[in-house]
Amino acid sequence: MTAQMDLPSIWDPEVDFGTPAIRAAVDTVSVTIDGRSVDVPAGTSVLRAATEAGVSIPKLCATDSLKAFGSCRMCLVEVDGARGVPASCTTPCSDGMVVSTQSETVRDLRKNVMELYLSDHPEDCDGCARGNCEIQAMAVQVGAAEVRYGRPETRTDVAHVHAVDESNPYFSFDSSSCIVCSRCVRACADIQGTFALTVEGRGFDSKISAGGTDFLASECVSCGACVQACPTSALQEKSIVQLGMPTRSVETTCAYCGVGCSFRAEVQGEGAESKVVRMVPSKSGGANEGHSCVKGRFAYGYAAHKDRQLSPMVRESIDDEWRKVSWDEAIAKIAEGFKAIQAEHGVGAIGGISSSRCTNEEVYVVQKLVRAAFGNNNIDTCARVCHSPTGYGLKQTFGTSAGTQDFRSVEKADVILLIGANPTDAHPVFASRMKKRLREGARLIVADPRRIDLVRSPHVEAEHHLPVLPGSNVAFVNAMAHVIVTEGLHDEEFVRERCEDADDYLAFIADASNSPEATAEITGIAPEELRAAARLYATGGNGAIYYGLGVTEHSQGSTMVMGMANLAMVTGNIGREGVGVNPLRGQNNVQGSCDMGSFPHEFPGYRHVSLDDVRGIYEKLWGRTLDPEPGLRIPNMFDAALAGTFRGLYIQGEDIAQSDPNTQHVEAALRAMDLIVVQDLFLNETARFAHVFLPGTSFLEKDGTFTNAERRINRVRPVFPTKVGMDEWEITCAIGRAMGYEDMRYDSAAEIMDEIAATTHTFSGVSFARLDEVGSMQWPVFDTTSTGTPIMHVDGFVRGKGLLVETVFVPTTERSTRKFPLILTTGRILSQYNVGAQTRRTENNTWHPEDVLEIHPADAEMRGISTGDLVDLASRVGSTTLRAQVSERMPAGVVYTTFHHPVTGANVVTTENSDWATNCPEYKVTAVQVGVANARGDEAVAQTREPAETHA
Amino acid sequence: MMTVPPEVRMGNQIAQQFANLPPAEAAAAIARHIENFWEPRMRHTLEALVAAGDDSLEPLLVDAVGRLVAG
Repeated sequence: MTAQMDLPSIWDPEVDFGTPAIRAAVDTVSVTIDGRSVDVPAGTSVLRAATEAGVSIPKLCATDSLKAFGSCRMCLVEVDGARGVPASCTTPCSDGMVVSTQSETVRDLRKNVMELYLSDHPEDCDGCARGNCEIQAMAVQVGAAEVRYGRPETRTDVAHVHAVDESNPYFSFDSSSCIVCSRCVRACADIQGTFALTVEGRGFDSKISAGGTDFLASECVSCGACVQACPTSALQEKSIVQLGMPTRSVETTCAYCGVGCSFRAEVQGEGAESKVVRMVPSKSGGANEGHSCVKGRFAYGYAAHKDRQLSPMVRESIDDEWRKVSWDEAIAKIAEGFKAIQAEHGVGAIGGISSSRCTNEEVYVVQKLVRAAFGNNNIDTCARVCHSPTGYGLKQTFGTSAGTQDFRSVEKADVILLIGANPTDAHPVFASRMKKRLREGARLIVADPRRIDLVRSPHVEAEHHLPVLPGSNVAFVNAMAHVIVTEGLHDEEFVRERCEDADDYLAFIADASNSPEATAEITGIAPEELRAAARLYATGGNGAIYYGLGVTEHSQGSTMVMGMANLAMVTGNIGREGVGVNPLRGQNNVQGSCDMGSFPHEFPGYRHVSLDDVRGIYEKLWGRTLDPEPGLRIPNMFDAALAGTFRGLYIQGEDIAQSDPNTQHVEAALRAMDLIVVQDLFLNETARFAHVFLPGTSFLEKDGTFTNAERRINRVRPVFPTKVGMDEWEITCAIGRAMGYEDMRYDSAAEIMDEIAATTHTFSGVSFARLDEVGSMQWPVFDTTSTGTPIMHVDGFVRGKGLLVETVFVPTTERSTRKFPLILTTGRILSQYNVGAQTRRTENNTWHPEDVLEIHPADAEMRGISTGDLVDLASRVGSTTLRAQVSERMPAGVVYTTFHHPVTGANVVTTENSDWATNCPEYKVTAVQVGVANARGDEAVAQTREPAETHA
Repeated sequence: MMTVPPEVRMGNQIAQQFANLPPAEAAAAIARHIENFWEPRMRHTLEALVAAGDDSLEPLLVDAVGRLVAG
């Protein structure tokens, strides 16, 4: 053991204070620890106070992400005037307390206890050898060099030998190194809220168990919380074993969902030779506060995947082979092609699509390219197909296109109304926060046709599950408001003081046509159940609405967003912690890409292109006359392409051929264009129709910012240099310059943010330097004295008074028929992300190797379908084949699938229907028929829908 | 498969959303929405359909397009 003493301790640049910080304390107490005075909030543990005072107390079962447990007996201290040797983790500080942490009594006790731990801890523990085991560090700290009881030499010599559980693709469990401190069990329960782990047996026989099976077969969701909490190497990332301990770390932001978790990328090597050893969630991350999910924590390997394209490529026709070329040749071909199209077909014949997976800075320059260099407003973003109705609806009602709260606000919610969202799969780290609040007693209403996990899961049960039929959301939300208003449960004072058009709205919503009884046939909700839910939301204390794409992806998506805003306003649930209207954004930078002016009618900061003063700001700065008319949205681009008036498209980081609805229509439009430029990590489905391919950079190579669903601007920092030779914003600028717009130059991404701040009031106080200093900021940040705005609309709405909109229910034209009697709705699964371009290139496929069709037992039985059968899924626009999963999660008449795999191509069957205000596709409502597939059909589908990358 | 021009489908959809308002108010709201969010060539297509007397257009939409043309 002495030979190992020079090794570094466990890699953790963040100080572990031992117990969580006390947030809500009013009073401060003063304590003296080993002669050092420290003031801490009342309720703070002695262990934490000591750490804050710079006094290190040995510990094993304590960590500051978990409530104190008091079992390891390592953190014992003596307190003047008190009897015994209390555990400092479970002992709160009291004013005037005097503590000794290094008396002979406690030193002897700790040493004895450590000897007992070591007596069953193998000398060949690879974590100890590697410096990834706290036992080693603690043994050194307490001076337990000798073990009177002997030590097992190898892991097979410990008292109870068990096979190492290697079932999880990302981490292993070796019980020989385990000290049964329960940190993993508590992390799984208290932080993640899954309760997959337990302690089996008693005393010396006790053992950590994943519910009596291996980790992969258990309820474990592979969030990594147990691995992070483990003080030994019993639970350890396999990457640590393969690569060894990291030598440096970079603080950055996850590139998956809209939660926007902060991570410490722990790395070996420098420059191009760098290898990411592991991603560790940052305790200081405002969005995640030290937690993670299986995607952000483990699924980063795609950045180094063999499918990654690292060179620009061109071809004359989409039937030709790709030819690798220099950046100069590729950029020149783009510029010449786009200019030729404009010369022949007009300025508006080309456009661009920016990506919500790219940084704010990258997105900003794409919209600048389109507006200033292309000379039109044909810029759109993938938010078109997810949260564009949020932008429209919240701007109309509140005055700005963003959610009202920070994530932490959920800790003050008393009633959570969750509509059309499945956070445990799509926003898992936020779901853990939500579940924690629910375990504390908040009450839950779930409005979703599918019986999502939150309806009933360990220690969480929705008080009401309202299985709203797809397409009936507006009727549902109106019925909720109808009950509240007609039963006098609304907040009359808030409505009168804070809202406009109140009388008209109140009269509209009180009409009997909006009652739960009148709308029951439309919504499928029993009137009494809906009334009870409405009463609970209105009277249960702080009511918070959280919603997802089950709201927006409808023909009345925007109306539904306004309906939810109405509901929050009539109950006064706006402008303080614990309430609000909260969109759960799909991709990491959906909020940011919208903020950065990616919509064809708005400049950055959601300012309409027709406003002379706003256009003037950019015309002066960019030196170009700008188009005052809105441009084409993505679906409009497709229509215009088929009409022959739109001929060239620059697509940054989006796979519209897989993600957008009605694939046949999209592919026909792409084929109709003269020049398609795809900038991406991989040759995606859309690249099959491209003439120029530009290699993009992964988040591990980017320097910039992402803005998450709570408007939090987080830094993205390069972990290693770009693998393709250029940053993505440089590529975009090079295209602009090649097209004759010479002013498109920046020295750094920071300089782009400076331009954003200089031209966008809500970002005025944002800069890389300030973000590096304070960590993150939630916009609006009006000046450099502000650190942001966690809660919006506190004293007044951005638009002045809130607008109560008469949200008339208009049924979708997409209805079930005799030919297509079922309704298909689509969604996501935990382990995969969006079109799967990233997660399919990781071990996450272990959990979800293919998309499946969930179908109710009654619908399955009448079609002779069993779980595992291949079935044909057909709509009026197309058909595909996938495997069935008979499930009572679905109501009869509704089937469900995901769109993560190109082979399945779920969007082959979705239609052109879209939201009336924004053209967001109606993914959630497609009339379909399902039947057992025949073998020939399966083969044909598989051949025609082979993924693009296999053709690379 | 798509026999209805997209401008007709989208325009009628917008008209239905405002159908609860008094007709003049509704037509103004529809016109405002189209002006704010539709690219000019889409507006021109719709104007041409109205000029051609396309009978699949909602009357409120026709009224709104008239207002757009009148400026």
